[in-house]
Amino acid sequence: MSQGPEVLIPTSAAEAVELFGTGADTAVVGGGTILIPMLRLSDARPARALMLHHAGLAGISETGGRLTIGAMTPLNHLAAMADPIAACVAHIADLEIRGQATLGGNLCARNTDAPRGDLQGAMIALGASVRSVGAGGERTEPAEEFLANRDDRLVLDVSFELPAAGAYAYLDRAHTHEYTALAVSAVRTSDGAIRLGANGAGPHGLRLPSAEAAASDHAAAGSAALADVALFDDAIASAWYREKTLPVLVRRALDQLKEAA
Amino acid sequence: MKAVGARLPRYDAHEHVSAGTRYVDDVRIPGTLWAKALRSPHDHAEIVSIDTSAAEAMEGVHAVVTYKDVHKNVHGHIEGLGVPGDEPLFAETHVRYKGQPVAAVAADNEALAIRATEAIQVTYKELPSLLDVRKAFDGDAPQVHHWGNWYPHFEGEMDRRQIRKGDIDQAFEQADVIVQGVYRPAAIEHIPMETQVCQVVPEAGGRFVVYSATQAMYFSMGVVAAHLNWPLNKLKFVGGTTGGGFGGKVDSATETITTLLAIKSHRPVRWRWTRMEEFLCSSTRAPWHMEIADAVTKDGWILGRKMLTLHDAGAFARFSPYGVTKHAFHHTGAYTIPNLEFNGYVVYTNRVPTTAMRGFGVTSVSFATETHIERIAQTIGMDPVELRMKNATRLGDTSPNGIPYVDPSTVPVIQAISDAAGVELSAHSRTMTSAMRSGEDLPEHLVAQMGNPEDH
Amino acid sequence: MSLNITVNGASRTVNAEPLTPLLHVLREELDVLSPKAGCQNGGCGTCTVLVDGEPRRSCLLPIAAVEGAEIRTVEGLAPPGQLSPLQEAWIHHYAAQCGFCTGGFLMAATAYLENGGSDDHTEIAKALGGHVCRCTGYVKILDAVSAAARGDSFDLTTTAAGLHTTLKGVDQ
Repeated sequence: MSQGPEVLIPTSAAEAVELFGTGADTAVVGGGTILIPMLRLSDARPARALMLHHAGLAGISETGGRLTIGAMTPLNHLAAMADPIAACVAHIADLEIRGQATLGGNLCARNTDAPRGDLQGAMIALGASVRSVGAGGERTEPAEEFLANRDDRLVLDVSFELPAAGAYAYLDRAHTHEYTALAVSAVRTSDGAIRLGANGAGPHGLRLPSAEAAASDHAAAGSAALADVALFDDAIASAWYREKTLPVLVRRALDQLKEAA
Repeated sequence: MKAVGARLPRYDAHEHVSAGTRYVDDVRIPGTLWAKALRSPHDHAEIVSIDTSAAEAMEGVHAVVTYKDVHKNVHGHIEGLGVPGDEPLFAETHVRYKGQPVAAVAADNEALAIRATEAIQVTYKELPSLLDVRKAFDGDAPQVHHWGNWYPHFEGEMDRRQIRKGDIDQAFEQADVIVQGVYRPAAIEHIPMETQVCQVVPEAGGRFVVYSATQAMYFSMGVVAAHLNWPLNKLKFVGGTTGGGFGGKVDSATETITTLLAIKSHRPVRWRWTRMEEFLCSSTRAPWHMEIADAVTKDGWILGRKMLTLHDAGAFARFSPYGVTKHAFHHTGAYTIPNLEFNGYVVYTNRVPTTAMRGFGVTSVSFATETHIERIAQTIGMDPVELRMKNATRLGDTSPNGIPYVDPSTVPVIQAISDAAGVELSAHSRTMTSAMRSGEDLPEHLVAQMGNPEDH
Repeated sequence: MSLNITVNGASRTVNAEPLTPLLHVLREELDVLSPKAGCQNGGCGTCTVLVDGEPRRSCLLPIAAVEGAEIRTVEGLAPPGQLSPLQEAWIHHYAAQCGFCTGGFLMAATAYLENGGSDDHTEIAKALGGHVCRCTGYVKILDAVSAAARGDSFDLTTTAAGLHTTLKGVDQ
């Protein structure tokens, strides 16, 4: 007897969208770095698994200063991009995981025992748009809105304008830990606006609007950031520790951004 | 002595680098079943009922075992040393830590084995749990154990390992200062790269071959034989290749249950723990709670030590009484303290049982003692290295349990460390040896404690 | 599903559920035992193999995703009876103790060296950063990879082959 889900292996993006449908009870296997162990050893038992390896959703293209990155693009393909992406990617897990894990998977990763999805904060800071399908059809929306409402969505691609400058400040981790406890991404857009995104400060990557509003004073912005987050305890850091370090990381990210610009 | 100082290769290096080493999980026997355990989801609960019928009815499930299948369910790891057993192989009436085995299954493959454990219905009645050794002695503390919250079977049925040496009251009366400290090293998981693993193969003649990653093969063989009430010659153990242990593979965690499954299914069975199981319920180094009060003179003599140790054994004793005994015998570290009052308790909590790890019971007290020495040095304003040299173990001194030191090495070791670290020693410490105390190294309070010089 | 992969140069046909991890297929279907099930969560590196030349955690890779791929493991590092320079360096520098992590480290380090990696310890540590060893403390592993990157040569007769002579002397 088969104990696993029904496995669907589309060979084109269109077929992937069709097979995904409304996404009910469907696990999407991107790189598989989170899902494969989960399906094997946990009590997660989806009815269907959609494997995207042959669906052709990988690749990076640029049109007029705007990048579009396919959901199945492995993280190591982003390693040479501008900060905060490059700095963030260099700090995700390790070389081997970065070769397998994907951008789409990173945006869909959920906090279970650790803050997963390191690029979520970076994408928010970049003002990225996420294009996804699912019930109600195709949606293109800002990353922070996608993250807040991403159940049963299949990510197709992510696009953003190249920033004028970017920075990434993070809590370092022991090499045996896969995830950073807390990180802040900062971006100065081409029209001079400052955007901030945080990881490890809520149920998913969060924008820091209060800190952005106070960004001219880096220390004040750090304190203001605490109004934008929902800090929590987990296996690698306490809410208390996150509260003490978030303002520092916001300040550092803004300091770096100033130097970069 | 050709080996001393020679650059000898590891005897197993060639096999290690060329995929030649066969670990237990690499043993390949056709028809081997996968084992999985159903484990307690609670820290502490009463078992109301266990129903294995649905799992037994599953196609591809070849054996389900519980406490009912074990001849002697409760067997202590060191019963042979006079420490009575307290731990059931499978939980029967209560579960006392999260992850405690309640049942186990053997099935055609791993996924099926996982689902079979899920099909076993266990009804629990949750009980309050005790997770902090400091609360174990409170009147309203949850009761972990039928023996109470601490182990009561030290020699003479004492409820603690105690040491009384010299005249502790006089030491504290003579002291210029009392230096106190509390030290609480946390539990440590050994994290061997190879998780706990065992394979058991029935032979036609009725003997069972047990491949085990254990660090203590003949010990485990005795444990299996005792649970089954079998003579040793019905068991053949194959060991010797372990993917890391560090003390974490001393307890017999897998062998008996895997053997039971092989007996019941008449098939070879392999049980390989997941990393989650390794973290959740393989034994750890114990968390310790140590309170020290030292009677100290202002010129740096440690006259006496009062110490209370609470050793967090987790839910069962296993080797903990042995660990606390070692701890007690080493509780002055590398130093001579002539007047002692030590009380060490093996305290039960609803945590995973604890075990050996690299210097069982001794590393904890070394940490406490060395940290405490620094605290004393700060308190009396003395160089901490000189303080160590002054109180270093010497010939003629005796250990906390009264054993004369034959080759005390504190003095030469500190001298060597000081050289390596570029620390300047005083002329007195530089020329000190481990020889029997005399002159300024033999103050009044040590004279009476010294062994008779003529004995040496 | 039925699919083909190449393992250490030999074409193999596999029948497995598509989401079965490559590690499981290698160990349980093909008896290729050097990749180890250390954590099965991608956290330790004991299962690392080369997939089309790139180091990958075989515990995380669904078999359907590597259809047609060229897989290399420790078993394929050198012809039978021989060792690669990296394997020799591993012996010479005592980089294996219990040996359980060794296969994963060797494959990651092989990829590092084949990509032109230098003998710089920081660079080596970046390349091997996802691998855990609980015995060595890593220094000897860095030494071994570093030595192989430099092309150091070793006279293992004073170590491996010489062992028996030496120990005989000890016994007598």
